[in-house]
Amino acid sequence: MSTMSMQTDQDQSVPKMQTPQMPGSHLTLARGVLAFAGREFRDAVSSKWFLLYTVAFSVLAIAVSFVSLAGSGAQGFAGFGRTAAGLLNLIMLIVPLMALTAGAGSVAGERERGTLLYLLAQPISRTELLLGKYLGLAVALCCSLCVGFGLSAAVLAWRAGGVGIGSFLMLVLFTCVLALSMLSVGILISVMSRRSGVATGLGLFCWLALVFLSDLGLMAGTVIFRLRVQEVFALAIINPLQAFKMGVIVNLNASLDVLGPVGMYASQTYGKALPWLLASVVVLWVLLPLMLAIVLFKRRKGI
Amino acid sequence: MIEATGVTKSFKRVRAVDNVSFTLEEGDSLALWGSNGAGKTTLIRCLLGVFPCKGQVKINGIDVRRKGKHARSLVGYVPQELAFHDDARLGASMLFFARLRRVDPSRAVESLERVGLTGHEHKRVRDLSGGMKQRLALAIALIADPPIVVLDEPTSNLDSVGRGEVVEALRQLRSSGKTIVFASHRPDEVVSLARRVLIMEQGRVVRDTTPAALWPDDAPVVTMRLHINGNREQAAATLLREAGHAVHLNRSGLLVSVERHRKAEPISVLAGASIEVRDFEVLDDLPLGERSPDEIVISKNMKEALT
Amino acid sequence: MRRSVAIFIMLTLCVLSRALSAEPIAPIQSMIDQAGDHERVVIPPGNYEGRLKIMHPVVIDGQGKVTIDGGEEGSVIEITSPDVTIRGLHITGSGQRVSDEQAGIKSVAGPVTIEDNVLEDVYFGIDLKQAPGSVIRNNTISGKDLEIGRRGDGIRLWWSHNCQITGNAVHSLRDMVFWYSEDLHISHNTVTDSRYGLHFMYSHNTVIEENDLARNSVGIYLMYSNNIHLLRNQIYNNRGSSGYGIGLKDDDAIVVEDNDLLANRVGLYIDNSPSSIDSVGLVKGNRIAFNEVGLLATPNTHDNVITENAFIENEEQVTVHGGGQLSLNTFASEGRGNFWSDYNGFDQNHDGIGDFPHAPSSLFRTLLARDPNLRLFVHSPAQQAVELTARAFPEISPKPMFTDPAPLASVPVFKDGGDAARSFPMPMAALALGLLAVAAGAIWRLAGHDPCRHIWAQSSPHIKQKVQA
Repeated sequence: MSTMSMQTDQDQSVPKMQTPQMPGSHLTLARGVLAFAGREFRDAVSSKWFLLYTVAFSVLAIAVSFVSLAGSGAQGFAGFGRTAAGLLNLIMLIVPLMALTAGAGSVAGERERGTLLYLLAQPISRTELLLGKYLGLAVALCCSLCVGFGLSAAVLAWRAGGVGIGSFLMLVLFTCVLALSMLSVGILISVMSRRSGVATGLGLFCWLALVFLSDLGLMAGTVIFRLRVQEVFALAIINPLQAFKMGVIVNLNASLDVLGPVGMYASQTYGKALPWLLASVVVLWVLLPLMLAIVLFKRRKGI
Repeated sequence: MIEATGVTKSFKRVRAVDNVSFTLEEGDSLALWGSNGAGKTTLIRCLLGVFPCKGQVKINGIDVRRKGKHARSLVGYVPQELAFHDDARLGASMLFFARLRRVDPSRAVESLERVGLTGHEHKRVRDLSGGMKQRLALAIALIADPPIVVLDEPTSNLDSVGRGEVVEALRQLRSSGKTIVFASHRPDEVVSLARRVLIMEQGRVVRDTTPAALWPDDAPVVTMRLHINGNREQAAATLLREAGHAVHLNRSGLLVSVERHRKAEPISVLAGASIEVRDFEVLDDLPLGERSPDEIVISKNMKEALT
Repeated sequence: MRRSVAIFIMLTLCVLSRALSAEPIAPIQSMIDQAGDHERVVIPPGNYEGRLKIMHPVVIDGQGKVTIDGGEEGSVIEITSPDVTIRGLHITGSGQRVSDEQAGIKSVAGPVTIEDNVLEDVYFGIDLKQAPGSVIRNNTISGKDLEIGRRGDGIRLWWSHNCQITGNAVHSLRDMVFWYSEDLHISHNTVTDSRYGLHFMYSHNTVIEENDLARNSVGIYLMYSNNIHLLRNQIYNNRGSSGYGIGLKDDDAIVVEDNDLLANRVGLYIDNSPSSIDSVGLVKGNRIAFNEVGLLATPNTHDNVITENAFIENEEQVTVHGGGQLSLNTFASEGRGNFWSDYNGFDQNHDGIGDFPHAPSSLFRTLLARDPNLRLFVHSPAQQAVELTARAFPEISPKPMFTDPAPLASVPVFKDGGDAARSFPMPMAALALGLLAVAAGAIWRLAGHDPCRHIWAQSSPHIKQKVQA
């Protein structure tokens, strides 16, 4: 076995000039994507960052659940609402970080290691590759979140009883969509960066910008320019994190009144359409960066 | 089978591939030959449609730029060194490529068997030796039994044993009727595998020839490589040129082409000018591996100038 | 299909026949008119259509089997004589003309006793004008399907002193409101989904005890009313545009004691109470938790003693409307302050009192007081960032809004008035398991097991032999 044995079967030794059947583009697209997604998922799940983030998110989610239940007493009021508020902060800190860095590392990392070239030399399109990567990472991220939320739900079930199941499920769903949107942004960054270090740096900057800078800027703007409620609202929901936050709160309270005049304005102006408006903002953040990433990736002159 | 017309690829200001055209028939085998940086690798990437290039590449009549995916499904690619996720297990990787190429998973088993890697399915890619990696790359390339195999310096990172294995495998591939394109800077590989050689220099094809024409078995004219102390090399070159020899000065030494029976002449010319020749080799007598592609082309040109 | 149509027709006929079988009220009216003073009139069970007018002292008893439908016109029962008792009636369909405030039961004389009635589809519920000494007990009142501002009041007292309002349940109406009525006892009522749960206008000397007020715009609102004792009321989820659990406006000598103020927009709102110079307000032993704002006060608020309350996890524990300090109020009495869930200190000598005063200052809260639009940014990491910045640079930290010199180290023990039902944890546990199962399943299915095992197992026997060799 030490040397190569090229066992060419008789029927295979005749060179085949078969014209491969023209791929039915949608079906084959889906299959290529799935093959990639499976591989990406496996890689992600067995990677260190996945483990690290899952553990971090789970531990913090459990801790937040315990802490917010600590002062609750028997009234049952503390149950979900407070946990959600605590979780909300945690989610807005960690989930974008997870998704952005995971997305940012994906393509740029392969590019740097040289594996991207090898993959591109295979019979797949760049769109498939990107979509496959996206899908695999997306499923991995959602799994990670499910672990954290599942443990948090276990704490709630144990300590607070079954409060707000529907709300909790919606929170999980919303968070997954948020993760998908941040993953899109991450992938976009990754497609644009040559080195994975640069991509990660950009991802972190993006995280900083979305989590802190844009809110702080808007706060300053609100105070300095005395922005009107509709202006504050319009500017705020551009940020997917704010849209996410409002979406979760609408889902919990059926109204944004918790968020003061701006929230009241939003609830009154958009009424029943508000959750959909907010959800569509986040979904747009899923689709637009991803589409842009695909376009840029296809247009790239190099690898 | 492969039709390239006016393929050009520039990176920033450098033209890595400059207006390359050739046609390759089915079952033929083509070597891209040249030193590092001559543009072989970039040309191969253009052929695969990995990135957009000017000009046109058609594989089996399919435009690589328009239907890259379709065209690539006819090609198996073996890189210089298999760059694949190191943590991936061999079996899982094979299965992934089987799925990607839409062939039955049993092909993964067969393909591994073909290259003699059966039994290593559970090893991780990083634990493979260089030769095994290249065999794995070959197994992956052959998984869908494509009519064309493209290899980018497949032996450059291997020791002589590994090299022998890969060359042997490729020879069998060729005899099984596959169309083969490979880049190499090893004359022995070119001689034993290629029917045609494209010699590349600075992105251009400078010569489209055969191995036999490049390395004829007996040459009446030989090229000598003279080693002279550095500060006198220029002087020596001028001196020899004045004496009517074809001379080329490069990093490894001074190349002079002379008829085989007049080998002592340049040395005596230099000795007359009290330039000491530390050592010399007759290039044509060296094994192919110890000559750089540059030297081979240069010596070829010098010899032609002489005759 | 045919059967269901038949059933449907039969049901419709039943309903129709019931409606059609409504008897005229005239015989009942004459029965009442002919009864002697203080005589008990038991109305024969049935549905009656029309209105009743009670003009002399009499006890009317429907025993819970009598429905009187006012036909959407006028007040269903009108009382013009004292010493009338209305008991066990089901009253529906008052008119809804605003000008004469048509009601289910309207009395312009007192004392009257109104008990064990069910009022539905009424504009006003029970409306007493100058009916002192009346008792309104165990009635259930719900209103017409109107927008909240256009509804009538569930129970209204007007110049009616010495009344007892107990055990009534009002929902989907405007207020339970008391005008110029003194010395009342209001206990064990439930007001839900209305505007103001209990609303006092110029009504003094009253005990309000153990009422349940939930999902109203405001729980209890006292205006210009003095000497009122609010005791052990459960006030939660009142979240209208003002959304106060308890609102105090220009009242003197108010005692707010042992109430639960939970998950309202504002737990306790104090606007210039006490308003007189020598008066003192007492807020003691309340549990003020999970509200957006625990205690909201106008800047001129003074002379309140706020002690032994538990401020738990309110989004903002205490804030001043428009910014400022609450330095004219005391947050401790006899060396005991309040429990603050955000207290950062310790109790190292275990005397139950925190070792240093609680004087919270929050830059974000201060900014909020300045520009309420900023509330949009609560629950976000940016808020935390602002607070951290303020902590890092003490010079930009604002002055504390108040100081509790003796914060309690642990939550005071509360006498719980019936727990809100704890739902069975099973669904949540199932959800937890489900989420974990989803994750584990995906990982196992897609990544956990060797996806090629079965493939390698398939490989032909001769390969296996080779491998073994």
